[in-house]
Amino acid sequence: MSIEIKLPDLGDGIESGTVSSVFVKEGDVVEKEQALLELETDKAVIEVPSDSAGTVSKVLVGNGDEVKIGQVMFVLDSANGGGQAPASPVEEKAAPAEEKKEASVLEPPAPKKAATETVVSLVVPNMGDGVESGTVSSVFVKPGDVIEKEASLVELETDKAVIEIPAEAAGTVEKVLVSEGDTLSVGQEICTVKTGDAVAEEQAHSPESASSLAMEQSDVSHLDHEAIKQREREAMAVKPRGQKRDPSKIAPASPSVRRFAREIGIDIHQVPGTGPGGRISVEDVKAYSKMLNSQGRPASGVVSAEPLPDFSKYGPVETEAMNKLRQTSARHLSQAWSTIPHVTQFDKADITALEKMRKANGKKAEAAGGKLTMTAILIKVVEAALRKFPEFNASIDMTKNEIIYKKYYNIGIAVDTDRGLLVPVIKNVDQKNIINLAVELTEISQKARAKKLTMDDMQGGNFSISNLGGIGGTGFTPIVNAPDVAILGVSRSEIQPKYIDGAFQPRLMMPLALSYDHRIIDGAAAARFLRWICQVLEEPFTVLLEG
Amino acid sequence: MSENIKTHLAVLGAGPGGYTAAFLAADLGMEVTLIDPEENPGGVCLHRGCIPSKALLHVSKLIQESREAHKWGVSFSEPEIDLDKLRAYKDGVVSKLTRGNGMLRDQRKIRHLRGHGRFSSGSQLEVDLTDGGKTLVNFNYAIVATGSRPLIIPGLIPDSPHIMTSTGALKLESVPKTMLVMGGGVIGMELGSVYATLGSRVSVVEMLPGLLPGADRDLVRVMQKSLEPRFENIMTDTRVTAMKESARGITVTMQKKDGTEIKETYEKVMVTIGRRPNAEGIGLDKTAVKVDEKGFVEVDEQMRTAEPNIFAIGDVVGNPMLAHKASHEGQTAVEVIAGHKAAFEPNTIPAVVYTDPEVAWCGLTETEAKARGRSVSVYRFPWAASGRAITMDRIDGLTKLVIDPETERVLGMGVVGAGAGELIAEGVLAIEMAALARDVTLSIHPHPTLSETVMESAEMFFGTSTHVYRPKRKK
Repeated sequence: MSIEIKLPDLGDGIESGTVSSVFVKEGDVVEKEQALLELETDKAVIEVPSDSAGTVSKVLVGNGDEVKIGQVMFVLDSANGGGQAPASPVEEKAAPAEEKKEASVLEPPAPKKAATETVVSLVVPNMGDGVESGTVSSVFVKPGDVIEKEASLVELETDKAVIEIPAEAAGTVEKVLVSEGDTLSVGQEICTVKTGDAVAEEQAHSPESASSLAMEQSDVSHLDHEAIKQREREAMAVKPRGQKRDPSKIAPASPSVRRFAREIGIDIHQVPGTGPGGRISVEDVKAYSKMLNSQGRPASGVVSAEPLPDFSKYGPVETEAMNKLRQTSARHLSQAWSTIPHVTQFDKADITALEKMRKANGKKAEAAGGKLTMTAILIKVVEAALRKFPEFNASIDMTKNEIIYKKYYNIGIAVDTDRGLLVPVIKNVDQKNIINLAVELTEISQKARAKKLTMDDMQGGNFSISNLGGIGGTGFTPIVNAPDVAILGVSRSEIQPKYIDGAFQPRLMMPLALSYDHRIIDGAAAARFLRWICQVLEEPFTVLLEG
Repeated sequence: MSENIKTHLAVLGAGPGGYTAAFLAADLGMEVTLIDPEENPGGVCLHRGCIPSKALLHVSKLIQESREAHKWGVSFSEPEIDLDKLRAYKDGVVSKLTRGNGMLRDQRKIRHLRGHGRFSSGSQLEVDLTDGGKTLVNFNYAIVATGSRPLIIPGLIPDSPHIMTSTGALKLESVPKTMLVMGGGVIGMELGSVYATLGSRVSVVEMLPGLLPGADRDLVRVMQKSLEPRFENIMTDTRVTAMKESARGITVTMQKKDGTEIKETYEKVMVTIGRRPNAEGIGLDKTAVKVDEKGFVEVDEQMRTAEPNIFAIGDVVGNPMLAHKASHEGQTAVEVIAGHKAAFEPNTIPAVVYTDPEVAWCGLTETEAKARGRSVSVYRFPWAASGRAITMDRIDGLTKLVIDPETERVLGMGVVGAGAGELIAEGVLAIEMAALARDVTLSIHPHPTLSETVMESAEMFFGTSTHVYRPKRKK
């Protein structure tokens, strides 16, 4: 009868270890309790004894291998045959626990040995499913560095993702054995670390490790529940199950591909598929992961977000799943924010005369079915400005180092809805007068609030306007709606004293903010663009003269 | 005097969800304690549900076929039914399977505590042992897999020996002369058809406009047409308003949608109006686990409850209450406990109704597509065009595919007909693999089989089904 020898539970917190020495080979006869191998864990170096007696028929681990609890390390051919089968499974279970205790009890000398001075090799750990090697893209440590446990040693580019390899032990770096461009495989040495007294002492006296060993030995009613709960609490951040998913919107990826994406922290629904019918392959997931990494990990969430504290420790909290719209805008805005070098230019327009004209003509727009708002007027003015300053009606393509100038004038309007921000686009503004625009703006805003916008309604914009004047505020710095290169923010107009012809006069002033992409637009150009808009608002005749 | 033990993983409930979870956990090297009152793992599914009902449905199909065989030149006399022997056969099936599970449990060295467990805290279960006494189980992790039980409305439904649920019906104590099935869902139709074949005059009353809510109507129509001659009466859109025990059984008052009242006395009434999750009485109030207003335990997509080391799976966490959903959820929970980034995220959970003909579906149904305003192409392949169906004299069938007209992906599949439950797995695989209609047509299906109907439904998408002439409409 063959018996699998698995790595037993080594006590709280320890999940795996690296084999530093294998004491037996195939064909060896071992006795129960005989040490089979030496394992380096992050708490101690321990010898792992055999659960049973027999002849070693298979050795499944080698030096440098990382072994997880429960992993089969050896196969023994038992001498006693089936007689091993215990009368009660409970007793059988109890046996390994006993040995585990022994191992723990025996081992406390190990950290003490380390306390004097031990040189530990830090190796490339098992990186999970299928990843066997990678290329070093950065080395973070040099000889003499004092590193903590979990500190990043190197950045490794594998074919699945870019991974930082954390240190499995703390100490002073002695030798660094790798450099950029090297290809490393699992188990290969990265560097050696001298574990100092302080570190070892801390391990020896750490109340956690001490008590967890003790607990293994004490009576069964004592469990380290808190440690487990804490660990699980940290793992709890996954999204709630929520309502039934829309079966018509499932990602076209096979279960194994979906599992793979989840394991490397990629939301499968974001991955573009290249297969027939948009099917997503493992390669597509890898390509997407690489793309995210090369972009400096924008806010796709999972990959880069720092772990959150457990807020419930400080007071009651409530979690709610982000709706799709919120997720999309979060991603889009982080992307824009992190890739576009933003500058915001401020100015004020005197709209005293314009406001009179707006009120006087309100009826005309109403008759046509719209509302003559300042936004409607601004759309027309911005269109004139875009024609005069074509670099504002452009996009940049950094991959080809090209600027794309657009010869059409579509302007996006930020609309606040109860589900979040939406930006419907008013198309071909150059072919419409202000009354037409007022009507269209009214319609499209209603459509946005009634959730009736189509994809078509929201695509193809060149420039956006965000008017928060209705709510208030003196100024804000909007984020450019990439791939646009600029956005106009409007705040609340106010009557302010203005010094005209030797006296202060009350004038209605509208604060404007222009955020722009500094890669393509220079400060002077932005100042001119915004000033020109202000001028047109003050003297609409300018458009006819210059526009 | 209570014993005090410690375990890494405690699984409360040994149904298909619980025992699958316990077995996998043991396979992954965990130390596991399974808590369940039955002698062997199996839960409702094996003891009082899927398995015994399928044994009876198998026999019922045989009886039905023997009655029809005269059309093919083979005449049998009316079968004699030995109820005791039939019951023994069914019990034998149950015991074979559950004892097998018991062996698998022992081989994996899983500790089984026979009894009822109740949480006394977020890390301890108190188990009242069947043999008397008590064991306190201190666990690192627990999985709640307590399942569900038949729903009864106490005000409406009297406590009477003439009233039974699926549990009672499966005991097969007698074959009543008349029987009312209250609730035309899956369980009602399956067990109702068993009793009908055994000789009861069975009527069905369903509150909703149609039988088998959730299934596409075209499939249900085919099933209903085949079953109607075997049933006394199928009353849809009809509500039970009163029930009274009488000398000869139960007098039931029903009201149709138009207000007409029906009063009828039945020897037995089988109540199959739904199932309730078993989330009460297991001490969840002593933990941080949350239960929603419908009585389901709330879990995240990793099957984790609000208590971080307690997971819940199966019927107790929500619909659909199906064994195959429970077992996959159980596997997910165990994988998460083992530290994997697993989540329960199937693209589809298939449903099968084991009447004869069977009804099965998976993925997006036509009804659901309509409700969501999603445009889909639907292709129905009638079994009258299937060589295999004709050889079996079973043309009462239909295979349909729901296809995305843009990507040509298979989004859903539905089948009604003999053996539909076996055919549906192909649809599940197609949906999970994001197969296109072309993938299905280019996969060679063996001839002559019913599985060809799936291939030909996909061919219909291209207007080229060999055995149905329906050219693609020009756009």
